[in-house]
Amino acid sequence: MKELTVALAGNPNCGKSSLFNALTGAHQKVGNFPGVTIEKYEGHCDFGGYRIRVVDLPGTYSLTPYSPEEIVTRQYLIEERPDVVVNVIEGPNLERSLLLTTQLMEMEVDFLVALNMMDEVEEQGISIETKQLQQLLGCHIVPTSAKKMTGIDALLNHIVRVGTGKIEIQKNKLFFRPALEERINEIASLVHHEPELQGFNSRWLAIKLLESDKEAYREVRQYPVWVKVEVVLQEAMKEVRRQDDSDPEELIAEDRNAFIRGAMKECVRGPKERPATMTDYIDMVVLNRLLGLPVFLLVVWAVFHLTFSLGAPAMDALSSLFALAANAVAPLLPNEMLRSILVDGVIAGVGGVLVFLPNIVLLFIGLSFLEASGYMARAAFVIDRVMHRFGLHGKSFIPMITGFGCSIPAIMATRTLQSRTDRLVTIMIIPFMSCGAKLPVYVLLCGAFFSPAMAGNILFGIYLLGIAVGLWTAWVLKSTVLGSDSEPFVMELPPYRWPTFGSVIFQARAKALMYVKKAGTLILAAVVLIWVAGNYPKNPELDGAFAVRSAEIQADSGMTPAEKEQLSGELGRMLRSDQLAYSFAGRAGMLMEPVLRPIGFDWRIGIALVTGLAAKEVVVSTMATIYALSAEEGSADLKATLQRDPSFNKATALSLMVFVLLYLPCMAALGVMKKEVGRWKPVLLYSVYSLSIAWVMSFIVYRTALLIL
Amino acid sequence: MRLSDMEIGDKGEVTGLKVEGAVRRRIMDMGLIKGTRFKVLRVAPLGDPMEIFFKGLYLTLRRQEAEGVMVQRNGGVGDGSPMSGGQRNRWQWGARP
Repeated sequence: MKELTVALAGNPNCGKSSLFNALTGAHQKVGNFPGVTIEKYEGHCDFGGYRIRVVDLPGTYSLTPYSPEEIVTRQYLIEERPDVVVNVIEGPNLERSLLLTTQLMEMEVDFLVALNMMDEVEEQGISIETKQLQQLLGCHIVPTSAKKMTGIDALLNHIVRVGTGKIEIQKNKLFFRPALEERINEIASLVHHEPELQGFNSRWLAIKLLESDKEAYREVRQYPVWVKVEVVLQEAMKEVRRQDDSDPEELIAEDRNAFIRGAMKECVRGPKERPATMTDYIDMVVLNRLLGLPVFLLVVWAVFHLTFSLGAPAMDALSSLFALAANAVAPLLPNEMLRSILVDGVIAGVGGVLVFLPNIVLLFIGLSFLEASGYMARAAFVIDRVMHRFGLHGKSFIPMITGFGCSIPAIMATRTLQSRTDRLVTIMIIPFMSCGAKLPVYVLLCGAFFSPAMAGNILFGIYLLGIAVGLWTAWVLKSTVLGSDSEPFVMELPPYRWPTFGSVIFQARAKALMYVKKAGTLILAAVVLIWVAGNYPKNPELDGAFAVRSAEIQADSGMTPAEKEQLSGELGRMLRSDQLAYSFAGRAGMLMEPVLRPIGFDWRIGIALVTGLAAKEVVVSTMATIYALSAEEGSADLKATLQRDPSFNKATALSLMVFVLLYLPCMAALGVMKKEVGRWKPVLLYSVYSLSIAWVMSFIVYRTALLIL
Repeated sequence: MRLSDMEIGDKGEVTGLKVEGAVRRRIMDMGLIKGTRFKVLRVAPLGDPMEIFFKGLYLTLRRQEAEGVMVQRNGGVGDGSPMSGGQRNRWQWGARP
């Protein structure tokens, strides 16, 4: 079967995704555009003897290279050269949708227009003369409605006919004012004679150069023709500035707009007063000066609640499932080492990561719903004032809040942010929002050293400290290294739409799959590594000594079986404790002791901190092991042990809580962070930063506490 | 005057852009260029980003960005555009520019 590649291009919220779903049905997959974390949705369908491969390009208003979405779209159109480009246009808002169309006309790609949302056009009493518009744009227009599933076959039919050359695209030119046309032609002919630039449409390149388009500059500047081009460009700038007190960029935009306005006058008839839509009425409440904030908080609370309360039973079920699996597998493996690595390493490790899956799915169902319904942008609008004070974007808020549950979905949720720097800063501060896994550590330490009344205050203080450090970090990052290119807050509030069930589920599924893939590879490796560090190298002398001692106990006839049992249990725990001290993790702990001493920790806490990198709650279980307690005796006993331990006091407990709050997030979070950022360098820098700030804050807290308490 | 100086319910027309770089490009790409008529719908509960409406688009922008958009108020007396019958400041359900 012959293949045709079709790219869908259009404004955000123009119904592009619904049309994509309508065209491809279930045959979809999600990938990434190379080098950026923008999802690439691909699908296919068979029509008229052709396999039509459909690529859903990210939504853009224009083809200037400012946002990553625009760069990706443009590169795709230039480099991949799809057979047909379908420009999806929002019927009811024709005027602004046409801006992208004019730019496609300038690029002279083979495109046709899908005039989408025709049902809404009819509802609003607007009539569009498609024949006339077709004449003006020089391309075919197919009225569609993805919601009502009308016009889909006609669109496919047109795609095939354009793709096979059965319909000639007229390639109308959009003419600018004479002064500009002159310059465009001048530059175009210069560029045209440069052999290296033959791949480009010279008229388009000329327009882009006049628009001061940085990508076009970079392209042309490499070649000798640049010398001549630069002269013409500078003359043009000077001339426009003298005559119109403006620049070519603005004039080009005005002329495009003039063309669009003309087309609107000729082809569109509609009611003069636009009737108030549902969106207007909803926004009267949702964005109301008094109700706006309460509504916002309610929505955030609902999403958070949905994720972590509804997810909790599923999470428990999953973890008991993994426990069952571990119990089932253990007897099957005779080799102790193999059993240990499979049961304690792989099953426990990967299980520990996979238990978050229900949370992630639920969160992303919630977030996709907010995004698709149109509320997400409004949430950003409501809270932006606060976030902006710390150099963040309004959209950073929801990922930050999610971070209180778990950093991993929170970091993944930053994809709703458009600007790279905003995304980076938000990712960097999320781990400071104290996640759910850190809570057991606080509960243990608060419970052991403080009265219940005090414990609540301390817990609250710890959370506040996390927020403060996070916001401070954001502010510092924004006002130093990442300050220069901040995303302008110029954002559309899309009309409210009821999201389709399919697209919400599809989004959540894609995120869940990504997470599972991560758990299967990098996280698995990290977890096994930490397991190895905690168990190796084995100390044969220790084993031997314990074996001897254990045999002695068994041989002792003066003891009852119950006493023997208890004694050998204690012996086993001591062995584990000594073994851990001897292992790589233990040695790392001892190596770290000089550094940890000033903040009140000894080598044993050092070990717990290292193994805590697998998951934060592991800090507690490692402490239980190292203080030679069995797991069954639980945290009540660990509390008593800690209280008795001379190296532990209130100041140490506070210091440890602060350190656990601020130091490196777990391996899983670091892995996801790397995946979202795309490079290791920021992640490594972040690791160094978080370790230093954790140390400094712990030092302050410890020393102050020693003085006061 | 600047867009940031307009009040809720005001209608106006863009007369020029006095910003540079990415913000300017962004504003232009959204279709807010010389000659675009718009209406100021509201400001956010905390007072900062403002929302305007034009060409079927609900656009929000921070005051900081709105300062760069030069506008003239329409619909007042003596601005040369048809009078709006003195209804400029009266709230109407669903009234749109």
